[in-house]
Parts: sequence; structure tokens; C-alpha cells
Amino acid sequence: MSRHDGTPGLGGAVAAIGLNTFREAIRDRVLYLLLAFALVIILAARVLSLLTVGSEAKIIKDLGLSAIALFGVLTAVFVGVSLVFKEIERRTIYTLLAHPVPRWQFLAGKYLGVGGVLTIEVAVMSGTLALVLGWKGEAFGPLLPAVALIWVELLLVAAVALLFSTCTNPLLATLGSLAVYVAGHLVWSLELLQSRLVSGWQRAVCQALYWVLPNLELLDLKPEAVHGLPVSASEVGLAAAYGLAYAAALLLLAVVVFERREFAD
Amino acid sequence: MCAAPAEVPIRLRGVCKAFRGHLGIGRTVAVEKLELEVRRGEIFGLLGPNGAGKTTTVKLILGLLRPDAGEVRLCGRPPRQPEARRRVGFLPEQPYFYQYLTVRELLDLCARLRGLGTAARRREVESALETLSLQAWAHTPIRKLSKGLVQRVGLAQALLGAPEVVILDEPMSGLDPIGRREVRDLILGLRRQGTTVLFSSHILQDAEVLCDRVAILFAGRLRAEGRLEELIEPAVRAFEVRLEGMLPPGCPAETLARGDGSVLVRVPDAEALTRLLGWALGHGVRVTSVSPRRESLEDRFLREVGARAREGVS
Amino acid sequence: MRRALALLLAGVLALGAGWIRGYAQATAPARQEARELLYLPNGRYLKLVSLGFAPLLADAIYLWAIQYYADYQRADRFRYVRHVFGDVIAELDPHYLDPYWLGALILTVEAGDLEGGLALLELGFERNPDAWILPYLAGWEAARFGALERAIAYFERAAAVPGAPSFVRRLPAGMYRRAGHLEEALRRWQALLYDPQSDEMTRAIAERQVRDLIVRLDLDRLREALARFEREQRRRPVALEELVRLGYLERIPRDPDGRPYRYDPHSGTVGTEASRILGER
Repeated sequence: MSRHDGTPGLGGAVAAIGLNTFREAIRDRVLYLLLAFALVIILAARVLSLLTVGSEAKIIKDLGLSAIALFGVLTAVFVGVSLVFKEIERRTIYTLLAHPVPRWQFLAGKYLGVGGVLTIEVAVMSGTLALVLGWKGEAFGPLLPAVALIWVELLLVAAVALLFSTCTNPLLATLGSLAVYVAGHLVWSLELLQSRLVSGWQRAVCQALYWVLPNLELLDLKPEAVHGLPVSASEVGLAAAYGLAYAAALLLLAVVVFERREFAD
Repeated sequence: MCAAPAEVPIRLRGVCKAFRGHLGIGRTVAVEKLELEVRRGEIFGLLGPNGAGKTTTVKLILGLLRPDAGEVRLCGRPPRQPEARRRVGFLPEQPYFYQYLTVRELLDLCARLRGLGTAARRREVESALETLSLQAWAHTPIRKLSKGLVQRVGLAQALLGAPEVVILDEPMSGLDPIGRREVRDLILGLRRQGTTVLFSSHILQDAEVLCDRVAILFAGRLRAEGRLEELIEPAVRAFEVRLEGMLPPGCPAETLARGDGSVLVRVPDAEALTRLLGWALGHGVRVTSVSPRRESLEDRFLREVGARAREGVS
Repeated sequence: MRRALALLLAGVLALGAGWIRGYAQATAPARQEARELLYLPNGRYLKLVSLGFAPLLADAIYLWAIQYYADYQRADRFRYVRHVFGDVIAELDPHYLDPYWLGALILTVEAGDLEGGLALLELGFERNPDAWILPYLAGWEAARFGALERAIAYFERAAAVPGAPSFVRRLPAGMYRRAGHLEEALRRWQALLYDPQSDEMTRAIAERQVRDLIVRLDLDRLREALARFEREQRRRPVALEELVRLGYLERIPRDPDGRPYRYDPHSGTVGTEASRILGER
């Protein structure tokens, strides 16, 4: 064996861990189960639409977009949470972190991997939906902004899951991530509640929650897409920028937590 | 990279580490005021019973744990810096690798994490497969391998890229005698290449055969450290002599045991032995055997551990 | 140091995200609000997905709806009241009474939509035939809008509910009187007065109402006869007996105390000395 001569690239380890994460998820049966379930629902929408009177395409679009969002979120949460925890539980992280890899690159690689999985998943489900719609003579194009924002939403949820999985056990992390997802769609109720509350600590808590939780409603263009309402490019762009900035902030936080983390057992 | 050849590969200074219990209640001391130095090119054995703090020490050395106090240096740097781990190979205790990867995929991943280029990677992976005779399993998923084979895969990844320092946590555990023999030969081969090896073990025979220096840990404290010859008194500590027949009174030796028609006695040194043999000759007592007794590592170990255990009890 | 830097960067990103969010929310708020309601599915379907927690879900939506409708700044806030309260909450938990009447009150009091409110109350009563409060409220709301006949009908229904409190049973009679149907009102009060099931208070009220109504009806009849007399005879009668003699009245009524009514031939006015009479005489 000779002393190695390779000069390590900065992204080399990130890419390697990302690829490995991707491979892990791809070789996991759960992902296929989820994907198969989503595809069955999208295809079933075609059948269901036969039962309705009037706009069959609406039902297909509604069900299709919802399936993409819902199964995407489930994947993001389950894969995202298991990312770090599985490595610790199975002690593979010892081998990994003993290598000359900065910890932030480990997390970046993990996130890249789950991002790749989500991208492929959204692409496959969208492709199926496009096929089903094409079969009905409907265009998929108008749904693209909605799908794009669903993708951004999934990246955000995956970042939440990753952050939770660096600092707590998988059950709590899963529940927490799902709770953030649900609460993120209900932040407007906090605004309502806040206007009902007189000033005081309750109101302050309410206001803090309102701004800290992600406003996932901003990333939801499903109704507009289905009804063909006009959506401006700047609106989509803003929402996407919001989602990605939020996700990036979460990832940085995850790095800060993970840098300090110890692996005792 | 270990900058200067004079650099001490591994050095621990006054390292303490305690773990908090569940919900932060209680505190268990894992390692206390640990002073260790592993020198370039030597095989260093970290010995101690289970729970002595060996794995904690190894994790501290690799930066997987932060010391509460003291200083850890790996290749002259804090182990948290990736640069410190660049020339370090590590085999964790009971390694458990990605089950869904084949042996070659795993080695390739590890080589990537080491920052090896494409060509170097292919070369190193092949070489590691060959060194550990894993070629036949190159395309087998790790989940289908036996425990011994997984251990071998672990060793292969620790040796990727010809590291200057190799840290092995319990490399022999779970291996059959042939496997242990192979690992022993491998470690000796590393020494020939000038690689520094630190391994932890609770199996003393291995250490006795392999190590240049050892440290004995018990209950988180360093009980003894040094060259094997220093720890185990090289000089003969006593002679045991077997004498036949009934002994006339005045035997200048301590009687250990009496058997049918023979007596086992002990004398502390060569001078006393001479005296005893002279006495036996003069009294017509037949001497059937004389065996010198040296302290083994196990004796030393038991002495340390036993003393501490008694302290703990009292 | 690097940790501080990472935290700083995270903070900057978070602030940036917050700013973008504020901007995005400000630019597209209107559509979002209307959508919340439009996409609230019918309770029948919500029930399917509520996993057996339908009443809890109904509570949650109810609480939310209260907050929502308590926001006076909201334009277009009455468009989905019937949907929210009737189709969603009531479907989830049909025996939850509050949403029916609250929704109805929002519609009648705030939106001025009597029909919408009554429909919601009708729906509730249909599903909860023992909830006298729903027709009771419907009666008052109808009365407030001047639809007295409908108010009477609602009160009758409320009074017919077994177990309705006695004051509910008095309402139809009172409302008949308010609507000007004095004879019907009198018949009702008399029925209540002689009904053995009536409690003491009801009887006392009924007695007073009966006296009052008798006086009012007698006076009305006398005044009408006097007016007719004066129109046809071109003079005022000297005494009330003249009305009977000339066939304008069958007989001279007496007040509940058994005394005759007062008549002043100069001004042509009638009055009463009867005790315990409400209002003008």
C-alpha cells in the first residue's frame, strides 16, 4: 500500500455521503411502498373521476397534487429523521466521523441525499400525474408552479426533520416534524388568536410562534393551480425564496447543534 | 497530516470525561486524569477489563467525545480538526456497517471520505481487499457476511490509504483463533511498515505478543503504563522446586504444596536456589524439577485490577 | 468563533426568510382568506377523516369560527356562515346546539339575513326536536324583523316541546297580542289561566292579561260602536244604553270587576275604573 497522493476536494465527502444516503433510501423498501401507494392514488384518481359529474380533471388534479404533497412529506420526515439517528444507532457514524470529514459536510451530504430522493420522488409522481392528465387531454403545465412549491416545501420539511434528528430521539423527531408541518399550515390561526388576546405574555408567545413557525400556506398553490387562477412569477419566486432561506437557516442551526454533539454510546 | 516526524501521534494530558445520567441526573466518571503518549511506529496496547474506559479513551482520541478537562492531541492537533484525522484509520468496536452496501461499495465510500482521487481510490480498495483476502466477497452485501468477515471489512477500511496511525478498538473480539492469528500478523505487518498502532483489548495474550508498550486502565484511571519489559519484571521472580521423598527438617525454602511423595517449595532468587540445592545434595533429597517463575502480563494485570477491586470493596 | 459565525448566518437567513414572508403575505392576503372558508369541506366528509373525533373537531372549528367572525375588519365575512355552521360544524356534531344559534345570530344580527338565520335554526330544530331554544330564538329573531306571524308560529312550536319552561308556553299568547290579534290572545291567556298544568306565576300573569285584554276588547268594541253611532245619528249617545237600544251593541259590557264602563256624553269618550290594568285605558 502506498501513501495516498489524492488531494481531497471540498465537495468530495459531501457528494460521497449524499450518494450513500441516496443509495440507502433507494434500497429501503419503505420508500417504494410510499411511492407505490402514491402512484396507486394518482391512478385511482382517474377511476374516481369517472364517478363525478362535470370536471373530472379537477378531481384528478386535486388528488394528484395532494398525493405528491402528502407522500412527499411522509418521505421527507421519515427519511430525514432516520438520516442521523440510524447512523448513531447502528454506530456507523463512528466510522464515518473518524474519517477526515468535517461534521458540517456530513450533514450537508445527508441533506443532499434526502433532497435527491425527494426530487426523484416528486419527479416520478409528477410524471405519472402528467400521464394520467394527458390521457384525459389535459395539460400538466399549469400545475408546475404548484409542484415546484411542493418541492420547496418538502425540502423545508426535510430540513426540519434533520434538525430534530440531530438533537432528539426518532420518535420525538418524527412527531415534531409532523407537528411543524401541520402547524405550518395553520399559522394564520395564530394570527387570529393573537388579535383576540390582550397584550401580555400569551400574546407575545403567540406572536413569537407565528413568526418562528414556517408559513407553509405561502408554499401552497394547489387551489390556484387546479382552478387555473393567475399566479404571478414573482409570487412563486418569493415563496420559493422564503422556503429555501428558511430551510438554509434550519440547516445551519443543525450544523451548530451537530458540531457540539457527542457520541457516547 | 503529522507535520514533523518527531510529532507524537497520540497524546493525552490530564484528560477527564464524565457522562451524565438520564435526564442529566447523576454523573459517571468514565476517564479521570488520563496521561497517555503513543510514540511513532510503536504498537500500543490499551488494556483493561470491560467498562474500564477503553472505548471512551478511543472516542476521545478521535474527537467523537470532548474531554471535560485536559488536552487530546492526534497528530499534534485537536482531534476535532479533520486534518488531525487525515492519516488515521479506525476500526470501531463491533463494527456495523451500512448493511445495504457491498464490501467494495463500502470501501469505496470510505476511500472517498478519506479524500482519495479516483485512481488512488481504485488502487487502495483493491489493495485492501487483497490484504485481507476479501476479494471473493467484494460484491457481497455486508448484511450477508459473518461476524468475522465484517471484522475483516472493518480492518480493511481502517487500512485504506495507508494511514500513519491506526486505532483499533477490540480488534480481536468475536474472532476465531485463526482470525485472531490473522489480525495479529496484520498488526505486526503494520509495524514493519512503520505504522503506529493503538489497539484496545481485554485479551492479554494478544497484547503480550504484539505490544511494544501497554497501558492498563481500570475504572477510568491509568494504573500502569510502559514497555512490556518494564511492567513485567524481566528478572526471574522466584524458582519453584520439586523435591522427592520425606524432607528432613531445616529446608531453606517455603513450602507451597505437598503431593504424594513429593513437595513443592519456592525460593525467591538464584542465591537461595543455590543454597537449597546444596542443602538437598547434602541431605540426599532428590530434586525432580526446577522451574523459574516470571511475572506474566496477566499476573501484573490481575495485581493491578485485583488491588483496585479490593480497594473498591473496602 | 466558527460557531458564532454559523449562528449569525442562520440568524441572517431567518430574518431574510421572515422579511420575504411578511412581504409575500402582504402582497397576496385577500385570496388566502376567502380560500380558508371555501375549502373547508362539508362536515359529512370531515367526519370520515376525523377518526372518531368528530365532536372535538366540531369544537375546534367552532372556536375558530368564533374568532373568525369576531373580526369586524374582514370583508366578505358573511359569505360562508351557513356553510361553516350548518354544513361543517353541524354535520360533524349535529347535536351541538351552540353553533346553530350562534351562526343564526351572526346572520340575523350582523348580516341582516333573517331567512338564512331561520334556516339554520330550522335545521337545528329538525335534528334536535327537544331543543325548544332553537324555535324560541327563531321566534324572537322573526319578531325583531317584524315578521310577527312567523314569530307566533315559532313560539307555538317552542311551546309544544315537552319540557319547555312555562315562560315559553306564555310566549304565543303574548305575541298574538303584539301582532294585534287580541281575541286570539285572550283565548290563549284564558286557556293558560284555566289550564290545571299552569304554574302559579303563569296563572297570575294570565289573569292580569285576561283582565287587561277584556277591558281593551270591551273598550275597542264600545269605541267602535260610538263612532258608528255618531257617524249615522250625527250626534253622541246620551248614555251607553242608547247603543243597545238603537242596535249598535248587543249588550253593555262590564269590566272584570263587574262595574260598568265610564262614559262622558260631552266628549264622547269611554274609560274604565277597573283595577290592575296595564297601559292606557
